[in-house]
Amino acid sequence: MSTPKPDRWRALRLTLITLFVALAYVFAYRGSFIASGSPLDPRDLLSPDLWAKGGPLLGDFLTPDLAARDIEPVTLQLPVPVPCGSAENGAPAASGPRLVPSVPCAEPRDKFTVEGFELQPNTELQLRWRLPSGQYFPGQFITTDADGYFSAEFEARPIVATKDGVPGQIEVELQVEVGELKPSQAFFDVLDGVIVTIFMALMATAAAVVVAAPFSFLAAQNVTRRGPVGTAVYYTVRTIFNILRSFEAIVIATLFAFWVDFGPFAGVLALTVVTVASLGKLFSEAIEGIDPGPVEALTATGANRLQVVWFAIVPQIVPNFVSFIIYHWDINVRISTIIGYVGGGGIGYYLAQMINTGQDNKAGTAIWAIVLVVWAMDFISAEVRKRYT
Amino acid sequence: MLEVQNLHKVYPNGTRALTDVSFNVEDGEFLVVIGLSGSGKSTLLRCVNRLIEPTQGKILWDGVDVTAATGAELRGVRRRIGMIFQQFNLVKRSTVMTNVLAGRLGYVGTAGSLVGLWSAEDKAQALRALERVGLAEKANARADALSGGQQQRVAIARALMQNPQLILADEPVASLDPVLSHSILQYLEQLNREEKITVVCSLHFLDLVHRYATRVIALKDGQVVFTGLPQEIDKARFKEIYGEDAIEVKAGLSA
Amino acid sequence: MARLSLASLLLPGLGQYLDGRRARGLGILGVILAMLGLIWWSLIPQHLSLESRPIPLKGDPANLAWLVVPALIWAWNVWDAARPETARGWIPVSLASIMFFVIGWQAAEINPPVLASNVDRVMLIIRPMLEPDFIQARAEEREGWVELLVPCPAEAPMTTAGSDHAIGVALDAPCGSVGDTLTVTATGLTPDVGVELIWQSPIGDFFPLRQADNPTEFRVEKPDAQGNLTTTFVVPNAIPPGIDPTLPQEQRLYIRQSRPLGGWELSTNGRFILQGIYETIALALMATTLGTLGAFPFSFLAARNLMSSNAFTLGVYVVVRTILNIVRSIESLIIAIVFVVIIGLGPFAGMMAVTVHTIAALGKLFSEVIEGIDPGPIEAIRATGANWLQIIRYGVVPQVVPAFTAFTIYRWEINVRASTIIGVVGGGGIGFFLIQWINLSDYRAVSAAFLAILVVVQVMDFVSAKLRERLA
Ligand SMILES: Nc1ncnc2c1ncn2[C@@H]1O[C@H](COP(=O)(O)OP(=O)(O)O)[C@@H](O)[C@H]1O
Ligand SMILES: [Mg+2]
Repeated sequence: MSTPKPDRWRALRLTLITLFVALAYVFAYRGSFIASGSPLDPRDLLSPDLWAKGGPLLGDFLTPDLAARDIEPVTLQLPVPVPCGSAENGAPAASGPRLVPSVPCAEPRDKFTVEGFELQPNTELQLRWRLPSGQYFPGQFITTDADGYFSAEFEARPIVATKDGVPGQIEVELQVEVGELKPSQAFFDVLDGVIVTIFMALMATAAAVVVAAPFSFLAAQNVTRRGPVGTAVYYTVRTIFNILRSFEAIVIATLFAFWVDFGPFAGVLALTVVTVASLGKLFSEAIEGIDPGPVEALTATGANRLQVVWFAIVPQIVPNFVSFIIYHWDINVRISTIIGYVGGGGIGYYLAQMINTGQDNKAGTAIWAIVLVVWAMDFISAEVRKRYT
Repeated sequence: MLEVQNLHKVYPNGTRALTDVSFNVEDGEFLVVIGLSGSGKSTLLRCVNRLIEPTQGKILWDGVDVTAATGAELRGVRRRIGMIFQQFNLVKRSTVMTNVLAGRLGYVGTAGSLVGLWSAEDKAQALRALERVGLAEKANARADALSGGQQQRVAIARALMQNPQLILADEPVASLDPVLSHSILQYLEQLNREEKITVVCSLHFLDLVHRYATRVIALKDGQVVFTGLPQEIDKARFKEIYGEDAIEVKAGLSA
Repeated sequence: MARLSLASLLLPGLGQYLDGRRARGLGILGVILAMLGLIWWSLIPQHLSLESRPIPLKGDPANLAWLVVPALIWAWNVWDAARPETARGWIPVSLASIMFFVIGWQAAEINPPVLASNVDRVMLIIRPMLEPDFIQARAEEREGWVELLVPCPAEAPMTTAGSDHAIGVALDAPCGSVGDTLTVTATGLTPDVGVELIWQSPIGDFFPLRQADNPTEFRVEKPDAQGNLTTTFVVPNAIPPGIDPTLPQEQRLYIRQSRPLGGWELSTNGRFILQGIYETIALALMATTLGTLGAFPFSFLAARNLMSSNAFTLGVYVVVRTILNIVRSIESLIIAIVFVVIIGLGPFAGMMAVTVHTIAALGKLFSEVIEGIDPGPIEAIRATGANWLQIIRYGVVPQVVPAFTAFTIYRWEINVRASTIIGVVGGGGIGFFLIQWINLSDYRAVSAAFLAILVVVQVMDFVSAKLRERLA
């Protein structure tokens, strides 16, 4: 007995397949590791610089804009007579937001320091002179630190000199939050977007069911594929479903946005088209999977085609259909969160606006709303499907 | 009278299921078709109401050429031929009542039936049919809540709704245990005797054949190998039909 | 009976709940709450901000009339609590459907007549859509030019006649004023192929000359059999506003001819489409691979049966699961927006986004597979004294590989589709070009992109079907 020769063919095939896969990955790597128009060195991915932008962005997303107080401008003032003695010196408050100059009064062209305490932290404010005439003379911009403190050099200009016993005052305008914490504008905008989105999904799913249900029978072998006409219809409907299923809703939405203008309606139409294709396929598979016995039995009673479909097929597929429909409503809510990006309407439109204008807290609100709604839909659809089937 | 003349059936994949089958069934007969599994019994019964298209040959029923009927004419033939299946073929998620009423589909208009409008007459008849098979109290139950024997009785009730002159029964008891087999066949026998409904039934068990058939035909590889009275089938004949290895199985006794 | 009715009268669904029909009770309560919330929402006027679109339905006091529906359902629910056998379920279902669909119709701004009234827009794009811009007839562009001064200067002007590709161009006068009729002669043209006459203004803009009797059409002239062309033209007024029109300026007349070379070649957009497809497939492949590799460890951490041994692992389980669930519910397109901001435009941002979404989605599916495995072998391996990793390797992995493979292939199909659109937000692939062509209204290119997407998705689906067959 000789030992079996190594299977050369197998080895060759294996080598070729390995080579092909390796090549595929080389090309995939070169095709996808491109950012801002130039190849990306994977080592750069480790550099913190690249990800530095991500931190604040993520921070903003994690602190969504949900509630806000009303904002009221409040002016802090303190008389600083120029020259000294021309009017009564101002007395800085002992606590609370306050301005404290290093000198109680000044001579023209004197320089002194102004400190601010307990102002808004990390905010840019403008220091200015309020002239005796009531007009103001702008000074420099200062930024408070984390404790709401700042300290800045300030110059007493001749223009601020006391007039008719009225002294010039140093002042700063604060945006102070007043009143109760209320849902913010972003909260209401996001609520609107979310509700419109849910309804977009609902309307699209309903429209798609109305179209897909009858057509799915045409795409079911066991119902339609009889005779040359039936076979032709079967393949036509099937092919149409297949072609439409190749496109994401957002792609189709671009066309509808052109047709009916930006807005939720364009999104609904696009969603309807892809849902028809997807439901049509699922429905027709459900129909193909039925027990053929009742069909045979009812055909044998002399019932016509329509009656056979209604009495033998429909009762068998209703639970499947209901489950698919709810599942698709769920999916459609997800898709409509992005369809607004090109089609307009719904939460996607708002999100796109916020991201494009760099209002990341508000974008965060929208993202959390999406997460919440998708979760809720997921839960409800799972519960209903569990109960119904 | 049902006349089957030189019937051939070749399936698209080339299987010759029936070859030159000819026989007559007089009105009021209880004809039993026997034969091995795969001998063509189901094919034959389904050719009679054209659930399967015969390749060649002719079937005449009451002088009407069933093989030439089309469309409404064919449905008219079908509605006067009841059919009962081995797997009952009920719509499992529908109620018993709906399943029985479905037997009237060949008689009622499409539109009315699709929205579920049934005449009081039809409903009364359905209840009578259910009473007849002893299931009146199950009318509103879902079909899948019933046992196998009960489901087959619902199927008989459905066939009764057609006011059939002929009932085709394709191994109606093959999925049931022996005691239930007798009860189902007794219903068929009753219909055959009292209502003069012709019955063509395929069966597997020789003792059932002896008990219920008025006449028997046997199929082997799609050809008629025997026509005669049930008493004529003895051990030897049985072996001839079922092959040398076959042993007779009695439905009545647990073999 | 009366007690249940009273309960349901006080709180919808309570009677049903107490009666043991809990799902029904909760359902009734949920539907009524949803309706009241919806009515409240429809009544508050919309505070329009810069970013929000007006919703026509909002703030209309007529919406108050919808209160009838929850009221009727409330009444029905009292009846249902007492006599469930006579209370028909279709009554509240149809009432709720009517309300939700009518409000939905308004909220989604459904307006079918617009489809018909805007049909002219469809007509506008149907022609270009039928001629996808992928390949074009091969042709060679040749041009020649002659320079002249407009208007004629006081002293004798200097004229240069430039030319390339052997088209010689000459004028009968070295200069001319706006409105003068000049004669141009061109030599070395391809016989019988149309020639365009194009004017270049002093600041470099090009204007094709138009036909004198039909100013909406460009001039196209035919050279004679020897490839010579002699024709007249009127000097156009091409001096931009703000420049002294009496000052002589150098302007040019271009003679341009596109000579067919026979055969076909990729058009410019065709090349972009190939590049887009390449990027699409590349990023789908990378994202699926990296996503699967990433999902693998997470799935074990998110599997309850592996993680419930002590409080710490259970904590890890809860955290991982929650994160997976959150990320999974954010579409990859939205994740892509974030990566584009961080990393910059291009396939890498899209690839990262699809990868992250794949990790979350597959992580959940994988963990469910793991939760569904037979605990017997795990117990047996644990009984041998194996540690956690060994249990995974010998007790879990062999059981889950087939399902993992199936889910990965399924995910591959999803990712191919996602990769076709990730470019809409700058994530690379064919979608990047598609959205630009849509914005430019280049519908010939749009149609080519659609076809390309169709082909890619179908081919990739075919590949995965084959793969599935192989592995099954
Ligand atoms: N739809 C079909 N296509 C091809 N061959 C079939 C089909 N139905 C039945 N056959 C074949 O025809 C023969 C007769 O089958 P059938 O009539 O079902 O026999 P029986 O009911 O006696 O068991 C068998 O060989 C079977 O395999
Ligand atoms: Mg059979």
